[in-house]
Amino acid sequence: MQSNLAPIAEAEISPLLVAKGITKTFDRTRALQGADFELREGEIHGLLGANGAGKSTLSKVISGHYTLDGGDLAYRGHEIRLRSTREALRIGIAIVMQETSLVPDLTVLENIFLPELGRPGRLDYNQFRKRGQEILNDLGQGDSLPFDWEVRRLSSAQKQLVEIAKALGVRAKLLIFDEPTASLSPGEAERLFDIMARLRDTGHGLVFVSHRLEEVFAITDRVTVLREGRTVMNARETASLSQAELIRGMVGAELGAIYERKETHTKSIDAPVALEVRNLSSTPTVRDVSFSVKKGEILGIGGLVGAGRSETVEAIFGLRPRTGGDVILNGKALKADSPQTAIRAGLGFVAEDRRTQNIVPDLSVKENLLLAHLGAHRGFFCSYASREKKVEELLANLGLPQERLMDASMLNFSGGMQQKIIIARWLLLEPKVLILDEPTKGVDIGTRASIYTMLRDIAAKGVAVVVVSSDFEELLGLSDRVVVMSDGRTTADLPSAMLDEESLTLLAAPRTSMVRNTEMLNELARAHGGSGFWALLEGERLICLNAVASTPALDPGFKAGEARMLDATNIPEALKRREPVFVAEPDGSRTTLVVPMTSPRGHDLGWVGLSLPTDRPLPEPGTIKSRIDTMAATL
Amino acid sequence: MATNILDRQAPASPLKKFAQRLEVRMLLLALLIAVCLSLLSPYFLTKSNIFNLLDQSVVIGIVAVGMTFVILTGGIDLSVGSVAGLTGIILGLSLQHVPIVPAIAIAVTAGGFIGLISGTLITVFGLAPFVVTLGVMAIGRSLAYIFSGQTAISNIPDAMQNIVYTNFLGIPSNVLFLLVLYAAAWGYLTYTKGGRTIYAVGSNKEAARAAGLNTTFYAILPYVLSGAFAAVAITFSISQLLSADPLMGNQMELDAIAAVVIGGASLYGGRGSMIGTLFGVFIMVMIRNGLNLMGVSPFWQGTAIGTIIILALLVERLVSSRISR
Repeated sequence: MQSNLAPIAEAEISPLLVAKGITKTFDRTRALQGADFELREGEIHGLLGANGAGKSTLSKVISGHYTLDGGDLAYRGHEIRLRSTREALRIGIAIVMQETSLVPDLTVLENIFLPELGRPGRLDYNQFRKRGQEILNDLGQGDSLPFDWEVRRLSSAQKQLVEIAKALGVRAKLLIFDEPTASLSPGEAERLFDIMARLRDTGHGLVFVSHRLEEVFAITDRVTVLREGRTVMNARETASLSQAELIRGMVGAELGAIYERKETHTKSIDAPVALEVRNLSSTPTVRDVSFSVKKGEILGIGGLVGAGRSETVEAIFGLRPRTGGDVILNGKALKADSPQTAIRAGLGFVAEDRRTQNIVPDLSVKENLLLAHLGAHRGFFCSYASREKKVEELLANLGLPQERLMDASMLNFSGGMQQKIIIARWLLLEPKVLILDEPTKGVDIGTRASIYTMLRDIAAKGVAVVVVSSDFEELLGLSDRVVVMSDGRTTADLPSAMLDEESLTLLAAPRTSMVRNTEMLNELARAHGGSGFWALLEGERLICLNAVASTPALDPGFKAGEARMLDATNIPEALKRREPVFVAEPDGSRTTLVVPMTSPRGHDLGWVGLSLPTDRPLPEPGTIKSRIDTMAATL
Repeated sequence: MATNILDRQAPASPLKKFAQRLEVRMLLLALLIAVCLSLLSPYFLTKSNIFNLLDQSVVIGIVAVGMTFVILTGGIDLSVGSVAGLTGIILGLSLQHVPIVPAIAIAVTAGGFIGLISGTLITVFGLAPFVVTLGVMAIGRSLAYIFSGQTAISNIPDAMQNIVYTNFLGIPSNVLFLLVLYAAAWGYLTYTKGGRTIYAVGSNKEAARAAGLNTTFYAILPYVLSGAFAAVAITFSISQLLSADPLMGNQMELDAIAAVVIGGASLYGGRGSMIGTLFGVFIMVMIRNGLNLMGVSPFWQGTAIGTIIILALLVERLVSSRISR
């Protein structure tokens, strides 16, 4: 498979993989325009960049999904030209993807040894079982995978483990992890990092693709940063870098202020409610969603992949049947029968997947721009002429000279420009509420900034904007308020000024980890006849992640998903002192122990508190603390 | 950022733009075939043969209108031939009891109703168009035999002939009907909300729905039209022959699909035009007519037509991929 076996120059530490000047073009989008990358054995190498910087493309070039257009790729000192993932696997390069490549109806064991199933001869399942167990033992995950289960029954974290085991089953030396933590709870992510550290220590080379900086600092040895398809920071020691330097690398100095907050950002908007959602459900993914957004407000909806955010907005818009709840648009109930009803009532919706849900490829740019007009329009003819002036105005704002572009095909444009045209499609109708699902997915950084400006402008004109995003940084930078969803439920509704990426991550944690936490709080509260809570504390402020009370009298004064100033709670004294002893409140109503919760890797997971009545013997704080630590290890 | 994107678009020269139009290429192909055939047979370019060509284009041309609508949505209608056969029998039977106009109305309504059933099964219940219309094709033919009692209905009133043999401005009424129908269908597909929705449904149904278009209605409508036009087409046939036979319309679906595809429509939907289909119909009819004039055995004609269709598409594919690049 290797056409050319000429060795390249020896470096002091022999690099496992060297990529030089890689270029790759799709249609007319230059995804990579000269990217360099170097990976050593026994290191975890962070590959960073904003959305659309080319991280995923570069990973897929290395793993053989895409053939490169130009540049050199050398693996263990030999030039390689990969034509398929199968070739990459044969020489030891594997990728663990966001959307897994597993076969849901086969068992865990069959999936791990899937490459072997294609070989001639009898399959030796006992042998597979033995080797599979060895692989898991090496990863320190001896008993976390039921070999005989069908893969569809596994959690995302378990599926990922199957993928890793599958790669090790063919003795892969180079593993690429493409955004591996996107659908994991903080605890699951930590376990993944443990596995990655073990792999590094056994001499594997790991590529870690991410845009979450705290994870990059936690796990990587070196970092490479891509911007607009080029390497802008090549293989720098992680320890030598600051967060600010990395951000500057990813975003580019001139664009550093793309999330520039507007003045109204921190003050609450005093305007009528434009859209209200009450107890919305749409089985199976949307269970209980409530939120509201005011005129002129930008509301962010955050959560992990799979939390039911897209399904929620689709159900609001009428693209997905509702099974319960109400949607009220401008004071009137909005029926769920079709998008047409929603559009005519003044709702606009930019769906998540541009190619499959927004673009009509065989119609011209002009007709794509006018598509929602056509949907809202009543009448036999198209009456495009009635929108002519508005179209001109919008195109001028987008910086598109119309005469040359109107008849062109949408597919000739970059993702960013396509997205701007799709957003313009809705602006044309002057909606009262505009919902955007992942509006900057696959969009280059420059266009992102102009999309943000567009959204702020329309909000300033009184349009209520709802943005669904997995990019927490974007969510916090763009929105006035953030609603967090987990497992089909809204779990928090807070002003974005009170949040940061860390607290968002914890609020978005999947239900399973919340259930375990609730169990522990319940046990603690019941055993001692008090109330328990889990919260984030920052200065004078508290964000509650979870709270249980065995008696109403001991209610701490906040509920899950709420934020409070410490003085506004029922236990200000204990929250302020945060000492490892029970602190009685001055009013004598109760006494409270507040202890920090940290993961085994030292990651800060907030604070756990236990409030008890003052008239009883208090338990030993040390035993409580150790219970909490045990729980934190499984979160 | 925006200028950067514009630079990647090469400005198209007027000639290239002209050649990029599918209809233009189809017209050239039709002319090329006409020239070849006129060289091969001296009778081809005579006035009577040209009228003959137009006359032969009517039935297949009408069916191809409905087929174009269906194929634009990304579907296919294999049942047109047997629906034509069945509605022809219905027309023949109705003519025994009611006057001509209501009889035709009954037949056309029946065709439309059959299309409504197919379209609903395909759109609402999500069945594959190929399978549904294959089933309807079998049912239609079988019912045609049962309703007719396995024999041709030959006592059709002579007045039916007026439908075909009345001339307006020297043009036979059936040819005039064909041209008016194509003009109307072209106008509908180009300038109306429904027409644009049919294109959008075929190109990306999900995006069309998300933009508020009534995708269910406009995905069913083409099948209704296809069934109704099959009945209209067979009405013209029966008017000429003054006889309704249960075998009528046999393999008509193949000619209609071939004409639409030669006319440049994509079987995946979203791409195609009435003008292209009209040229496709002419090309099909010319080839058949030319082969007849040259005295090619009917058994060899299938091979010849099949080969020419595949060659035409192959050349078109190669040419269009070069031009659009």
